[in-house]
Amino acid sequence: MYLGLDVGGTHTDAVLVNEKGVAASVKVVTDRDNLLNSVNAAIEELLARAGAVEITRINLSTTLSTNAIIEGKTEEVGTLVSAGPGIDAARFEIGRNFHIIDGSVDHRGTEIKGPDRRQVEKAIEDCRKSGIKVFAVAAKFSTRNPSHENLLKDLLGQNADFVTPGHRLSGQLNFPRRITTAYFNSAVWRIFNGFADAVEKGLGSFGKTAQVNILKADGGTMPLAMAKQVPVESILSGPAASVMGIVALCDIREDSVILDIGGTTTDIAVFADGAPLIEPEGISLEGRPTLVRALKTKSIGLGGDSLLGVKGGAVTVGPERKGPPMADGGSEPALLDAFNVAGKTEYRDRAASERGIASLAGKAGMGTAEFAAAALRCAIDTIQKEIGLLIEEINEKPVYTVHEMLEGKTVTPRALYVMGGPAGAFADMLSEAFSLPVAVPDNYAVANAIGAALARTTIEIELFADTERRKLVIPGIDVNTSCEREYSLVQARQDAVAYLMDHFKTLGVDSREGEAEIVEASSFNMVGGFYTTGKNIRVKCQIKPGVLFKLNGGGKS
Amino acid sequence: MIKAKNRLGIIFFPAFDWAISPTHPEREERLLYTQDQLREEGVFDIEGIHEYKPDIASEIDVKRTHFCIPDVDSVVTQSHLISAGGAVKAARLVMDGDADRAFALVRPPGHHAMKVVHGNRGFCNINIEAVMIEFIREHYGQKRVAVVDTDCHHGDGTQDIYWHDPNTLYISIHQDGRTLYPGSGFMEELGGPNALGKTINIPLPPMTSAEGFLHVIDHAVLPILEMFKPDLIINSAGQDNHYTDPITNMNFTAQGYALLNEKLNPHIAVLEGGYSIQGALPYVNLGIALAMAGVDYSRVVEPDFDENFIRQERAVTRYIEKICDDVVENYRNPRKRGPSRGMAGNYEVRKKNIFYDTDGIRENQVEAVMICDDCPGILKIETLSSVNPLSLGIEVPLGACDGCREEGYRILDQGKLKNKYAYIKFINRRDREYIDI
Ligand SMILES: [Zn+2]
Ligand SMILES: [Zn+2]
Repeated sequence: MYLGLDVGGTHTDAVLVNEKGVAASVKVVTDRDNLLNSVNAAIEELLARAGAVEITRINLSTTLSTNAIIEGKTEEVGTLVSAGPGIDAARFEIGRNFHIIDGSVDHRGTEIKGPDRRQVEKAIEDCRKSGIKVFAVAAKFSTRNPSHENLLKDLLGQNADFVTPGHRLSGQLNFPRRITTAYFNSAVWRIFNGFADAVEKGLGSFGKTAQVNILKADGGTMPLAMAKQVPVESILSGPAASVMGIVALCDIREDSVILDIGGTTTDIAVFADGAPLIEPEGISLEGRPTLVRALKTKSIGLGGDSLLGVKGGAVTVGPERKGPPMADGGSEPALLDAFNVAGKTEYRDRAASERGIASLAGKAGMGTAEFAAAALRCAIDTIQKEIGLLIEEINEKPVYTVHEMLEGKTVTPRALYVMGGPAGAFADMLSEAFSLPVAVPDNYAVANAIGAALARTTIEIELFADTERRKLVIPGIDVNTSCEREYSLVQARQDAVAYLMDHFKTLGVDSREGEAEIVEASSFNMVGGFYTTGKNIRVKCQIKPGVLFKLNGGGKS
Repeated sequence: MIKAKNRLGIIFFPAFDWAISPTHPEREERLLYTQDQLREEGVFDIEGIHEYKPDIASEIDVKRTHFCIPDVDSVVTQSHLISAGGAVKAARLVMDGDADRAFALVRPPGHHAMKVVHGNRGFCNINIEAVMIEFIREHYGQKRVAVVDTDCHHGDGTQDIYWHDPNTLYISIHQDGRTLYPGSGFMEELGGPNALGKTINIPLPPMTSAEGFLHVIDHAVLPILEMFKPDLIINSAGQDNHYTDPITNMNFTAQGYALLNEKLNPHIAVLEGGYSIQGALPYVNLGIALAMAGVDYSRVVEPDFDENFIRQERAVTRYIEKICDDVVENYRNPRKRGPSRGMAGNYEVRKKNIFYDTDGIRENQVEAVMICDDCPGILKIETLSSVNPLSLGIEVPLGACDGCREEGYRILDQGKLKNKYAYIKFINRRDREYIDI
């Protein structure tokens, strides 16, 4: 059996699934002050329902790190950056202990100037005096040459309980994001590790037989031992859990749009050829862009509880929410009330819905039914417009070769998949608006937990080889070695896959979990004067998000 | 997060799969390190800076601007259409108000491509700025446009295309033609009879440093722009004046380029040359992008920057100070140095020998323009090259008077009758009629 847990802001969902389907599911209210309680309560109830079962895998999606950052309940971090020339690094200051160290490495990874030891010593001393125990070190172009970060880490030595070197988080080039992500990682390190240890302890005998994984925002998982090193990767995994749930419940093979309609918001995700699209750079948290890989999702302020109103003679829906719909005992009419009035749903107290809409309609000089219809129209229009903008943005993504300009794939949705509380009510209208088939999967209420349970391990690495300098670096997994002058793209592609699978093995992940695929591979001849001096090779390799298996009977159109 | 003062659109198209030849300066690798630098600096995360995909220029966008012999398809590849499309996208962003400023960081370049195109010269096939400017005029109405070309080479292509256009001021700052390709761009070159003074050349001696370039901007370029009062300022932002450039002899810097851009404050910048792809381009492009966005660039410096190494000699400084006055006077009073104007209604004729260095083509042209008091004048070019037989190009310009328009059709009919032209290209900008024979 596979156990999936999604600790959300309001509810914690948990399921037990195997190839035959969902064996048990529970929903408990999240104890925001003690997420561990919610985890334990959900597991306890799940086991009470399912009886004695063997659990081989426990996957957990948690808001712990996200909440800690948003609520400012993080630990003070000492941040040391080696920036060199470029945009003034002071503009990327984060936290109260931010130190800029002189030193620079250029775009090829050549060291121009080593870190200024005196400044490093002073920064460490300052942090020691302030009682700082966790650190983030980030250097410009450390993904080309990590030596500055490694040196800073070494110099911190015994002063640090934990250090995040920026290059370990991603192979991507983006110095400001590297700083932010390393900072967040160290800021949540202690709180996450405390939680992880407690979860392991709470699992008792289960924890020994089952593999415990943490869900990431890219729709994949990472082993708990790895999560303890890169807890920042656990942020914002909630929307990804739901998307992976759809992957498990439906047989998506073409370009599609996924809608998760909740109380206040609707999350939109896009699939190309049946696979969820990834945010190219990384997700933002608290307005700060990071290097955390995430599924491309867009959240809009529209859901079942969205407040209805009138503005300039037109009916409006959302983005505010003022408590539940009137059908649910609320005081002001919401979108779900309009569905009730239009006869699309029979949700609880329909008379209350009628009353609320009638009074709003009266003020606007409209009939009750007319008003409800206009509200639904407005909601559908909003969703349609936002999906259009998202698809346009995806298709307008810059490309860098003539080939891609001419032959590049564009996304054209062929189907819609809708889940969340009000999903059923929306289906017909969406289908009509888009002239596309709309599927609402069974079990959509716990799709998030199913997604968590069945998500596979994902990983992405970037290999960078410079045959003139004879250097080969894979920053994310700390490979920093040499290569031959004759090293070729063919070898690099093979090496990238081999290193990735090797890394998988050391993490204790079954290699059958997924197949490594090359996402990008390029080799540039480097020329000095009129002679080729070497090759500049870049290979991006990943195990893309996917599920262990699909559940049958998913989705009715 | 950093916020840009000006909303800047960057159209980045490095054409990673296109080269003139494997070790040619125009090769796949050219913008690789620039992209690395811009990404690593987080430029595209700056609030207000957006990266955009180029448009693809259409055949008509090229035909509107050039006489392509034998036809557009034969002289232009897809990479040129994308590069020109990148400039067009930059224009659309600014003209539609989606950005305050736009930077087309694209390749291949275009400023050596002339009005008539038989092939590639100076790494250029079509003139991407000219295609862009004529796109603007076609879709947003006639504009007074100033092109300030800060590439190290004289932009002889842009000069040729706008030689007769009084609505386009072309200012080229470059290394003296006696010491560098293409060997033109002298101060006496001031434009045709209907547009005299609207071509301004500022040849600078080798080893000119930032000091000299900025002096020229302050004391020649800005005063002339003040008088011309353009609706749009375009910077042909070539970067081969850099002290590390392998094919030129100047001493300009990333800081200097950024400061120049800030002073010039162009609506649109378009990359031209620049072949120090590791030592200059990453830093110069970063500096220009930040300057255009109004973001502090004071710490953008080359790793090997050494002020002492590139200090400008006194003699160079004195020479530059002296020519600035002449340059301004050339704009104010072009007749003093330029030829006297012929009688209206007559043709003024120039003979040109043009060499296409990249493709090894030789071309002979007889260019005639109608001297006209009411419009930029009908243009007629007879061209014969080592790859194409004698052909004819006729242009009825934007804003052509009735007389010149009639004259255009008369020489078209005459050309057809004569049977001596292998190809005839007819551009009528006034009525948007393009004829290929
Ligand atoms: Zn040049
Ligand atoms: Zn005329």
